[in-house]
Amino acid sequence: MIDVLLQTLLNAAASGGVYALVALGYTLVFSVLGVINFAQGALFSIGGYLTYLLMGGRIGVNGALPGWGLPAGLPFWLALLLAAAGSGLVGLLVERVAFAPLRRRGAEPLLALITSLGAGVVLVNLLQLLMGAEGYAFPEAALAGLPNALVIGGARIRSVQVLLLAVCAFAVLVLTLWLERSKGGRALRAVAEDATTAQLLGINSEAMVRLAFVVSGALAGLGGGLVGVSVSLAGPYMGISYGLKGLAVLVLGGLGSVSGAIAGGLLMGLAEALVPSDASGWRDAVAFAILFAVLLLRPSGLLGRRPVDRV
Amino acid sequence: MSIPLLQLQGLGVRYGSVQALRDIDLVVRQGELVALLGANGAGKSSTLRAISALVPAAAGQILWRGGSLAGVPAHRLLRLGIGHCPEGRRVLARQSVADNLVLGAWLRRDTAGMHSDLERCYDLFPRLAERRTQLAGALSGGEQQMLAIARALMGRPTLLMLDEPSLGLAPKLVAEVMQALQALHQDGLTLLLVEQNANAALAIADRAYVLVSGSIEQQGSAAALRGNEQIKAAYLGS
Repeated sequence: MIDVLLQTLLNAAASGGVYALVALGYTLVFSVLGVINFAQGALFSIGGYLTYLLMGGRIGVNGALPGWGLPAGLPFWLALLLAAAGSGLVGLLVERVAFAPLRRRGAEPLLALITSLGAGVVLVNLLQLLMGAEGYAFPEAALAGLPNALVIGGARIRSVQVLLLAVCAFAVLVLTLWLERSKGGRALRAVAEDATTAQLLGINSEAMVRLAFVVSGALAGLGGGLVGVSVSLAGPYMGISYGLKGLAVLVLGGLGSVSGAIAGGLLMGLAEALVPSDASGWRDAVAFAILFAVLLLRPSGLLGRRPVDRV
Repeated sequence: MSIPLLQLQGLGVRYGSVQALRDIDLVVRQGELVALLGANGAGKSSTLRAISALVPAAAGQILWRGGSLAGVPAHRLLRLGIGHCPEGRRVLARQSVADNLVLGAWLRRDTAGMHSDLERCYDLFPRLAERRTQLAGALSGGEQQMLAIARALMGRPTLLMLDEPSLGLAPKLVAEVMQALQALHQDGLTLLLVEQNANAALAIADRAYVLVSGSIEQQGSAAALRGNEQIKAAYLGS
């Protein structure tokens, strides 16, 4: 019994952690530009597939280059980091293509929702063209050295979930420390609060916007790689459902709030985990029902600022 | 005569079909305290916003030490020595007083100099020292204005432009802020002070310009403008 409870809570925290990563990505871009980057889900997929390829995984029969793969695979950790960096660069590309031209022309900010959605669709389709629509399991050697299960206080739990949770927690910690304490993080927050004033202080707010997209893409990519190694790659569209869930978490926690994104992610993970496994088809329904309930009671989200506080 | 620090030549600014500024000629020399006076909507803020590249110049030139500023983006100007303390204070409400000040020194790498400047700011405005760990949003209007000025000083500008520092402050605080500006001027800082409160500004300025609906109507030494009947009637409320 304690096994099941512990495992359930761990699953909740682990998937909640991934949702938090995705939601934090949205939060960063939202805080500097006030819009949602709908390509976030595609960046999640890209992170998963990049991790797979960098570890030496081969392209399947339906891909553009069947059987192709890197001559040598990298260890999981290195592959994950590089894949996150790669997703960050693709995030920058999305900013250059889908956001920057609109901003330069002073277009209605909401238009970026459409252009970023378009960029996301193109990216997912490119991924499908290259890799095929099939799912991929990570190489067996991915987590060599890590035992399959850990025994904690008599309870056996899947160690890969522990790893997932640890990496998410670490990433969130590094991100918050960076935002709160570092010079660059403070400058990013200054741009988020008042881009004009930030410029008068000598901060290049355009550069900070680009930085927000890179970090945001890297967070999504990290999530993709982690889900890939713990479950598998379900197909190029896998990121879309995580992207949607992340969006729900963003709203649940409060738009633009870092702590809200973290709390919202964990709550969403918990809500899903409490759905019994023989009713797992109801998982998304339960998660979104909670979202509705929270928004009815607190329209600005769990930790969102009330509209009047947003300067 | 040496090259002025800042020179506007025939500057014009338009917002769509509205001409906000027309043919502005203005000079600020090293070490001067120049006031730019005018009623609400006369174009005072637009002048500063054009210098800071926050709005494009529709006509004319902005020269800094004799060179054109055309094409220089807003975030580059402090690096050149132009500090701008914007209208409405614009402190970063969600960051502490100390963090606001540190952000003012964003471009600087000289840690020792930053520390001594931070202490100088706290000497100039002792209330900020008392509240250094508080969120800037929790400060009173007068304290926020002091913070905005101190933050602009942290960037060590050669020329500090201030947009209506007295706006919304009680008379006692206006005097306090003006005293601080005078002290900075005496230390050799060059200032361009935009004010609606002509009395307060003319009391500390060397020279002044008077803007009326987007054009400069009067200019001269502060002493001469203080005695000018027209100015008195229009702005000094007597």
